[in-house]
Amino acid sequence: MHLTLGIILAIIGSLMLTSVTGVDPNNFKTCEQSSFCRRSRKIQSSGSKYAIIPGTLNTYADSLTADLINKENHHQFTFKLEALVGSTFRLQIDEKQPLHPRYRVEHALKEEPKTARISVQKETDGEITISTDDHKNKAVIHGDPFRIDFYENDVLVVTANAKNWLYFEHLRQKPADAADGHADGEAGAGNAAADDDQQQAEAPKSPGEAIDDPGAWEENFKSHHDSKPNGPEAVALDFSFPEAEVLFGIPEHADNFVLRSTSGTDPYRLYNLDVFEYIVESKMALYGSVPVLYGHGPRRTAGVYWQNVAETWVDIYTAETNVVSSLVNFVSGSRKSPSPAAHFISESGIVDAFIVLGPKPIDVFKQYAALTGTHPLPQLFSLGYHQSRWNYNDERDVASVSSKFDEYDIPMDTMWLDIEYTDGKRYFTWDKFKFPEPLTMVKNLTELGRHLVVIIDPHVKRDTGYFFHNDCTERGYYVKTRDGNDYEGWCWPGSSSYPDFFNPVVRDYYAGQYALSKFNTVSENTMIWNDMNEPSVFNGPEVTAPKDLVHYGNWEHRDVHNLYGHMHLMGTFDGLEKRDPNQRPFILTRAHFAGSQRYAAIWTGDNTAEWSHLQHSIKMCLTEAVAGFSFCGADVGGFFGNPDSELLERWYQTATFLPFFRGHAHIDTKRREPWLFPERTRLVIRDALLKRYSYLPLWYTSFYELELKNEPVIRPLLTHYPADKECFAIDNQLLVQDRLLVRPVMQQGVSKVDVYFPAIDDKKNGDYWYDVDTYQRQERAGYESVPVTEYKIPVWQRGGSILPKKERQRRASTLMLHDPYTLIVCLDRQGKAEGTLYLDDEKSYDYRQGQYIYVNYEFAHNQLTNRFIGKPKYKSSSWIERVVIAGLSTVPQSATITVNGVSQQLEVLQQDHAVIVRKPGIKMNVDFAIKLNY
Amino acid sequence: MIQVQTFLLVLLALIVNQCLAGDVPRPRGVSLAMAPLYQPRGGDNSWTCLDGSRTIKFTHINDDYCDCADGSDEPGTSACAKGQFYCINKGHQPMIIPSSRVQDGICDCCDGSDELDARGCPNTCSVLGAAAAAQRRQDAELHKRGTEKRKEMIAQGNKLKLEREARRADLEKRILEQEQLKSEKEQLKLNAEALESEAIDTFKEQQRELDAETAHAEEEPQQMRQEASLSFVRYDANKDGFVEVTELMVDMNLDRDRNGVVTVEEAKYFLDERDRVDLDAFVTLTWPRIKPLKMLAEGLFQPPQAPEEDEHIEATTEGVAIPTTEEQREPQPSEEHADHEPAIDSDEADEEGDEDQYDDEEPDVGVGEAQPDAENASPPVYDPETQRLIEQANEARNAFEEVDRTIREIKQEVKEIDEQSGKDYGLHEEWAVLDGECHAFEDREYIYTLCPFDRASQKPRNGGAETTLGRWDQWIGEGNNKYSTQRYANGAGCWNGPQRSAIIHITCALESRVTAVSEPNRCEYYFEFETPAACDNEAFQQAQDENLHDEL
Repeated sequence: MHLTLGIILAIIGSLMLTSVTGVDPNNFKTCEQSSFCRRSRKIQSSGSKYAIIPGTLNTYADSLTADLINKENHHQFTFKLEALVGSTFRLQIDEKQPLHPRYRVEHALKEEPKTARISVQKETDGEITISTDDHKNKAVIHGDPFRIDFYENDVLVVTANAKNWLYFEHLRQKPADAADGHADGEAGAGNAAADDDQQQAEAPKSPGEAIDDPGAWEENFKSHHDSKPNGPEAVALDFSFPEAEVLFGIPEHADNFVLRSTSGTDPYRLYNLDVFEYIVESKMALYGSVPVLYGHGPRRTAGVYWQNVAETWVDIYTAETNVVSSLVNFVSGSRKSPSPAAHFISESGIVDAFIVLGPKPIDVFKQYAALTGTHPLPQLFSLGYHQSRWNYNDERDVASVSSKFDEYDIPMDTMWLDIEYTDGKRYFTWDKFKFPEPLTMVKNLTELGRHLVVIIDPHVKRDTGYFFHNDCTERGYYVKTRDGNDYEGWCWPGSSSYPDFFNPVVRDYYAGQYALSKFNTVSENTMIWNDMNEPSVFNGPEVTAPKDLVHYGNWEHRDVHNLYGHMHLMGTFDGLEKRDPNQRPFILTRAHFAGSQRYAAIWTGDNTAEWSHLQHSIKMCLTEAVAGFSFCGADVGGFFGNPDSELLERWYQTATFLPFFRGHAHIDTKRREPWLFPERTRLVIRDALLKRYSYLPLWYTSFYELELKNEPVIRPLLTHYPADKECFAIDNQLLVQDRLLVRPVMQQGVSKVDVYFPAIDDKKNGDYWYDVDTYQRQERAGYESVPVTEYKIPVWQRGGSILPKKERQRRASTLMLHDPYTLIVCLDRQGKAEGTLYLDDEKSYDYRQGQYIYVNYEFAHNQLTNRFIGKPKYKSSSWIERVVIAGLSTVPQSATITVNGVSQQLEVLQQDHAVIVRKPGIKMNVDFAIKLNY
Repeated sequence: MIQVQTFLLVLLALIVNQCLAGDVPRPRGVSLAMAPLYQPRGGDNSWTCLDGSRTIKFTHINDDYCDCADGSDEPGTSACAKGQFYCINKGHQPMIIPSSRVQDGICDCCDGSDELDARGCPNTCSVLGAAAAAQRRQDAELHKRGTEKRKEMIAQGNKLKLEREARRADLEKRILEQEQLKSEKEQLKLNAEALESEAIDTFKEQQRELDAETAHAEEEPQQMRQEASLSFVRYDANKDGFVEVTELMVDMNLDRDRNGVVTVEEAKYFLDERDRVDLDAFVTLTWPRIKPLKMLAEGLFQPPQAPEEDEHIEATTEGVAIPTTEEQREPQPSEEHADHEPAIDSDEADEEGDEDQYDDEEPDVGVGEAQPDAENASPPVYDPETQRLIEQANEARNAFEEVDRTIREIKQEVKEIDEQSGKDYGLHEEWAVLDGECHAFEDREYIYTLCPFDRASQKPRNGGAETTLGRWDQWIGEGNNKYSTQRYANGAGCWNGPQRSAIIHITCALESRVTAVSEPNRCEYYFEFETPAACDNEAFQQAQDENLHDEL
């Protein structure tokens, strides 16, 4: 949310808000400035020589192990390949006898994965073939050079170490004369050559031990020194995807959905950082790191989850389809361009890779989610609209904003308080002057069905009058410097320290702070925003913590950096669950790693009020969604800068179809609540919000199915149209499940937009798509130019789907609990459709005890029927108020509803291109059939 | 699994279709005025939506399903997006709420009619009604008494207006008189100066040996003074004859530490740590400090870089003189430096001499030739006759100056009166007396001050400089309420942001005071101000009557 380099900026001057110029990339490292990255990347020109040591191979019921040797320095490694349930293999490589243990990631996986039985199919001198018992998946391990080919139904989909870029720096003793040696200069590359010569001359040549990079044992960046006591310890490995045409994944970057080649540029970087005014179309690191990458082609999709929480860079190789390469291929007779590939490079830890074999996009998403989990079903209110700003100044301000939403009859669920509510940035306290009675304020919101979210950041003000700081100091809960002292950095409160959430005792203590007996100025309905948890350290290297800090278990910050935010979230989630065991917590986080989706929603951080940032909100959230984070959104309007009316309108419309929907803004921006704009803007925004609220039953059902089936809520087109190459790279459209196709207007001043309707086969046949406002039908696949007004959000419902809505307007989503449902039935070419609805109490965990209604509706042969999935145990007072059917060729005379043998006539009305069955009036837990009469 | 009996259109039963709360039977949520529109058409028992868009069965009114595009068929349920619900609120004011608030579990109407009985909304109308009536009485009393006070303010305002007009007429007359006097004095001055000039020329003839360089340098103080006066006029934005801290803060050349803002401290340095300076002090104290920066900004002056020692000393002790001399000197041959060096010793004396000179003479207008040579500290010694003529000329000049100054002062006053007359003090001059008053409001951090028709400002409680939040701009109330809101604009600039401004929201009270200040937007302040000037019993009564009329 925040301006972070405030201090530095104060010096730089006054340009920032008037003309948003964006981040200065020089404040962040390039690969060349990062010793381990440039060392590991070097291997791409020479290749490495690793081989299985003959005779060391052992096979077990579900796995296979062997020893590996680096044929150049003769260092030995162990390697393990394990088959997991769900078409997944796990590959681990570690040193056979490391000098000291190397870090292995904990807490990212949702549980220890279940293994699958394997058997050896074939074993020859140089290779061994194993397959899973169902014979679907197969791995062929090649001994020398070491390589593993992964097959899905006998099609090669992933190769590990295809390019021989495996690179594993074993731990070693520090060379004597490197002890006081020079550190790598800031300029990095510039000095490297000269330094190399010098060091080579000085270093004792024990074969295989020397790493001739000047940054191997210590490193400088800007004014920061990294002591690197463990020296070089990087790991790197390449993965090729022979069936793929595009690669995607590895959020978080402000970039296209499809990954771009990194040849000639820096690799994509994964290192949780607080980047001030980030720029779009960039491979720079941002707040979160999720090292899962997918390769997709028309026939097959596969993926790799590289489980490493140290700083990681990912090089991307995609087929260059330029004239030269085609010519080369033509001349050389090779019909196929080289496979797309990714080279993962991490600073420390081990090789721990999960290979998911698909075969379809939805399969790999589910296989990955099976490893790291999904966001559990959230409370319904959190899918409504959130109103935030840095800052709502005081209780009166909060009350007035809330009441203005009512005055203008605009729905809103949640008010947010940023850091200024605290007493001097001491979290868990309140500014007693601005917020003298927080509980009354919370109660006033709750009485209108609304919620409050307050921010709690991980940094702790170093103030001996602050209980939290005193506890952490006395009990040794802070992250330590290399010398064993409490680390002090600079953040919002000024001098701050950072609790070591890796320590379970610290997490427990932290979780305990959320108890209502402790944090007694909020209610059990007050939810939490965890920001700045990369962690952000204003005066640290690259605005984060130094890598040589020491965590619980004596691990360096270097080893665990990308997991710090995740550990923070674990504490918060635990605290909220303990605070009210039967209420689902809602947490928003900025930093995240694979698995953080089990605890929190994310947003795309401190974006800017520009059209390009609006466009990237979709690109970024699509990538996050396939990497497990369906609950994603962007600051509506842009955090920095002031959006004009049109940009704000379009932003609200776009966010209407992203899962997390929050308006938020920087403290220096103008107020931008909808009523502060001209009436038209207010009405356009209201219209978008009403649309959002009407679709809440679909969002809620989608999130239930995310938890139930591991299927993302929002999806790129290729998910359901995997053979249509045209849609692979489309990232200005998205699908909500497989029911809605959304193409928001994200350009200034347009009166029409181009929409791509995907093809289901290679004959360019497509699904039917029905405009959700008019039910006008789109029958052809391909691009279509669609006119738009300022009110229009171009959205279509897929023919063949049924979806639930609630079309009554309320002040907040919690007040809609008892309201009746509308079913929207859009027919396919066969006149059929089906779709699910899930409902429960929208708040508690009772659904896990079966207190829910989950129903599949089916329309065929002019009849709508239902089928309950599981017992409809939940007692709902809702009912079905109307059924809208689009795609009928003739309008029926009437309809007949039959329940338990009793029939009754219903009116049928025509509206636009659809018909409406008036008021079936049926309760949600009752079996029925509605037949159309002609 | 097989649940049966709940098949229902039973929901109908939940809805109370006919409401008996009033005397006239009408559907739930319909006002008395609208009741006649909710009658079934004879014969087929149908009913047409109020917008005429459809005809539906009368029984479909309030059946919890929206049939009419305008929502008119569901006045008593939440079924229609555009629907409205009418609470009778007997004992208090009736109210219309959007249908979205019907049956949402929140009691919106004081009679609880928007929620079904199950919710158990208490009827609070009589309590609220009594409180509202008491409030109305109190407001009426306030407006009545406030209006009395306002009448006094109107009287005073009109008196002030007359006084201003009278004073202005008087001043106009005086200007004419003084202009005449001025031309007489000017003639006397010219005569005396002619004699003086002649005498001095003669004297100078005899002083030929005077160094040309020195003579040239003589002009410097006058030149300086002229520059300084011009700058003074430029800086003195409000033309009050003083240059103030805030007036300097707009000149980015004075941002000595180049942090993008001229702080109060920085500005005060130039004012010799005072809050404001008049022309004299400006010339002697302020201009010498500003000029080097100006020249620096214009690229005329290069600060001494590893300078020769003499220059360095000049730079630190003499301040102003340097750039001028430096500028003049640069093109000259280097030996000139040596020639000039001895003068450094007399710098201190020079300065004192300068001051005396200013004290003795009227500084505003200097006539070059008449001034004693200042450059070499000791004025030349004239022969007694010349000296006498000079003194006579000085007297004549002084007399002229005095008249001239008087005229300027009068004109300034006229200008001020005109400015004041240009301000909008309301339809009846009721706001005029507030001009000249200042009202303070303290919160935890700041003391805010509102001086109506002049400025709004804030000052930290724990000391520190005052920041202007805005200067009087205009009335910005909407429609008939023009005189309910004021704007003060063009306050001190915010770092990284706009210039500060303030909006003043004004309500009726018996005493004038500021009751609250907030900063809803960064650098945009909001004052709550109350004053009898805003009390208007007539308008208040009229509004009351309209309200009552609505209720019926």
